[in-house]
Amino acid sequence: MRINRKAVALVVVAALGMGAPVASAQSGDTVSAAYLRGQDLETRDQYDSAAAAYRQALAQTPTSLTAMLGLERVYAQLGRSDSLLPLLDSAIARQPRLTALRAAQMRTLRSLGDRAGMQRAYERWRHDVPHDSAPYQEYARMLIEDGYTAQADTVLQEGESDAGGGRGFAYEVAQLDAAMGKWEPSARAWRQAVADNSYLADAAVFALFPTPMATRDAVRRALAAPPVSTPPLKVLGALELAWGAPREGWTALHVLRPDSATLVAWVDFARRAEQANAWLVARDALVAADQADPTPGYLVRAANDALAGGDAAGAASLAARAETDLDSAAAATTALPVHLRALSTLGRPADGAKLLAAYAGVLSSDEQAQYARLLAWGWVRVGDLDHARQALAASGGGDDAASGWIALYQGDLAGARSQLHAQGDPAGDVLAVIALLDRTRATKSAPLGNAYLTLARGDTAAAAADFAAAAPALSDAGSLLIATSARLYTAHGDAPQAIAAWKTIVDSLPQSPEAPEADLEWARILRRTKQTPEAIARLEHLIITYPESALVPQARRELELARQTVPSTS
Amino acid sequence: MRIVTALVALGLALVPPTARAQHLLVPMDDEQTNHLKAYGLTYNALHDGARGEWLLNYRGGSFLLPDTPELRRRAALDGITTQPIDDATLADIRNQMSQANMESVPLEKAPRIAVYTAPYSPPWDDAVILALRYAGIPYTPIWDDEIEHGDLAKYDWVHLFHEDFTGQLGKFYIAYSGASWFVDMQRTNMAMAKKLGFPNIPALKKDIAMKIREYVNNGGFLFAMCGATETLDLALAAHGVDIASVFADGTPMDPNADAKMDWNASFAFRDAQLEMSPYVNSMSDIDGHQANVPGRRQPLGTFTLFAFSAKFDPVPSMLVQDHRTVIPDFYGVTTSFMKNRLKPGVTVLADEAGAPWVKYIHGDYGKGSWTFLGGHDPEDPQHAIGNPPTDLSLHPNSPGYRLILNNVLFPAAKKKPLKT
Repeated sequence: MRINRKAVALVVVAALGMGAPVASAQSGDTVSAAYLRGQDLETRDQYDSAAAAYRQALAQTPTSLTAMLGLERVYAQLGRSDSLLPLLDSAIARQPRLTALRAAQMRTLRSLGDRAGMQRAYERWRHDVPHDSAPYQEYARMLIEDGYTAQADTVLQEGESDAGGGRGFAYEVAQLDAAMGKWEPSARAWRQAVADNSYLADAAVFALFPTPMATRDAVRRALAAPPVSTPPLKVLGALELAWGAPREGWTALHVLRPDSATLVAWVDFARRAEQANAWLVARDALVAADQADPTPGYLVRAANDALAGGDAAGAASLAARAETDLDSAAAATTALPVHLRALSTLGRPADGAKLLAAYAGVLSSDEQAQYARLLAWGWVRVGDLDHARQALAASGGGDDAASGWIALYQGDLAGARSQLHAQGDPAGDVLAVIALLDRTRATKSAPLGNAYLTLARGDTAAAAADFAAAAPALSDAGSLLIATSARLYTAHGDAPQAIAAWKTIVDSLPQSPEAPEADLEWARILRRTKQTPEAIARLEHLIITYPESALVPQARRELELARQTVPSTS
Repeated sequence: MRIVTALVALGLALVPPTARAQHLLVPMDDEQTNHLKAYGLTYNALHDGARGEWLLNYRGGSFLLPDTPELRRRAALDGITTQPIDDATLADIRNQMSQANMESVPLEKAPRIAVYTAPYSPPWDDAVILALRYAGIPYTPIWDDEIEHGDLAKYDWVHLFHEDFTGQLGKFYIAYSGASWFVDMQRTNMAMAKKLGFPNIPALKKDIAMKIREYVNNGGFLFAMCGATETLDLALAAHGVDIASVFADGTPMDPNADAKMDWNASFAFRDAQLEMSPYVNSMSDIDGHQANVPGRRQPLGTFTLFAFSAKFDPVPSMLVQDHRTVIPDFYGVTTSFMKNRLKPGVTVLADEAGAPWVKYIHGDYGKGSWTFLGGHDPEDPQHAIGNPPTDLSLHPNSPGYRLILNNVLFPAAKKKPLKT
């Protein structure tokens, strides 16, 4: 607590320091020795002494804004904010137009909970500086933050009437409308506010994010209404991302005429999309940015995003375009890795090998070995294990994971087990394979190797059949192989085959570890295909038959949703 | 000795693990894993013809049901803790209860339940519907036309949620007059008023309020929450006075409305001062918290359930059965009830220590009874329009929602002659 307070004080002091020239220009302030002493004492948490020093600074220069603000801070720490009010009154009498003093007075009254005093201070302020929007803005913001929305509305109406025109209050009106749940008017006001001050975009996204589903279209229309301009569409793009609709975000943004502001908006949108794992949308934004302002860096990022989003062909094409715009050395470290990974993923290792050879002159031996390993996976993907081994040899070997996978594809379960186990920190698919290998004592199984190889080649449906076919010969892991088959059928969208596989486990292998999962996944498919009573029966079977299963809470949750006893949106 | 041990062991081994006891105890203390579903289990057991008992103050207000495979199955499916007990164990429990502030109340018949809800209301916006659906308790939604056609008599228990019986649609027009949902609400209510022969919404709602009072008078059980509590009584007391603002019926409120209110006609409240301004989102000074009036809004605290004699006051005892006695408060259109606005004879079931308001009240009217609980949603204390609905699977042990379900089940209790 002590550290935090000091940190805050330091930040405030630093901020004041940065703003000092402005304050001085407004108030004729000069930094006195007393003020500097007060500042030092404040950072050491000696608030009583700091207050005395700030008071001394004020006695020397009654209009010193920095000393007044210092006193405001330390009095707040000491719980004596009320002592500031007389000082503020006399300072304001000397400098009635100084906004910072008025704002400090409002803050102090607010911290004291003196709402009537705030109202009076606001009235005096508007009287002293007619046609100035500051009193209305300051007071309205405080009222909104405190939940006095109706009163804030009145203040803003007064402001629009007295200070002329509503545009100056767009930000406050936007906040007020959002606080009152008037989402569409709020969006219209935000549109105006961000057009005047683009830095408010993040505030607009934050304020409009809670818009209920039913009102979002109205917000979209308000932000995208003609004439289109970059700031509101930038807000809409970020909102769509936050609402889980990244494609709609890009659809809104891509209509902008390419100029420098648009370019910044597109690249910023791509960054946000990447953070949201909306890879293909990020790819599109970066490609558009490259078209507006050709930059190889955009293309390399777009290629990486394409690959992360499953578009290997697009990634290869984008990386190739980037390579043409870069010199060999730069391309070798930026575009080439993603190009090779894309070709490997596409099952085009021969093309990858040619590409790698073309860059041989600019690659170190370590880089060549690293890229050769990438290509080994490409050879595996096309089922050419001999080339895969050659590529691994060219990479200097030492890749237990790749060697383990090759052993697995050849049906050498013992070799695969040993080499995959040797990996220090196996993850993802390696872990799943190890789990399967540890379920069986078999040392060889050509059908299982073939099933994994088929899967590596990307033929999910055939792999699903192969895993099921391998099960009878590996009875100690039979249920796991059938479950793997079922998962692959599900991933492939083949619900009938997936159900058949899960049903085999439920009916024939009810004591297996996969049996509760079989019930649950079967039920989930049934729910997705609107066979609700059948899904309920499966879930009930799971809960009653396997009451100790770790899947029972999930099954109960699914059961609630299937019975519609809880809201489905949660 | 060794032979006896062996025989006992053999005997135990011969008893199948799923052997049935005579009774199924549904504990409602902290051992219960799903308090809310336990009410559904009990309700549906009664619905299927079984008899049960409510063991007031015994382990949080436990239920006693017959031990049947079907009930065990339902309990297992819903994750409800049950304990099979035999006659000897039950005798011990009864003996324990006889010596303490506990009582067994027979549960005989599942009440027929109606929920007064407008057709435009989403089901997830009503705490009672949330509770009923989650617990698996069937109910029938009814609205103005059913009530006008006399359907209330078909039900043992009727629930009112945040309906505004003053006909001013919750004064939502102040902030939401342009919102499409508010326009729909206004249009639907006006259409219903015209269809049923009333000139405007306030006139229709007043008549509905009177029919609800007649239902209670004839022996019905009424449970109201949130704004329905306050506005129902205001509508009843205002049977000869215009208390609706100009936006609701085209004429301003009677400036002397306060003096003309007939509090003999209301259930719970008296001498309330009406809010005369159409621009202030409050109906009267009955509500202590005034959640929608910024300058008057009071902070939330906690409320405490009162303890009653289970043997002498079984009805209030049933209504406060809970595994917690201190419960976090929650806002609503009407959050609480000022003590100085309660009629004499109203039973206070829960209040906030040191505060001038109470939270939960009950009373008899004619042959029936009413219960009012302030607030909107016990698990969404700050509830605001547009908030996501409450998912009760995340709150299966909610002490606040138990109060709602106590009300659902208490009409099932067989009335016993009071001992005093």
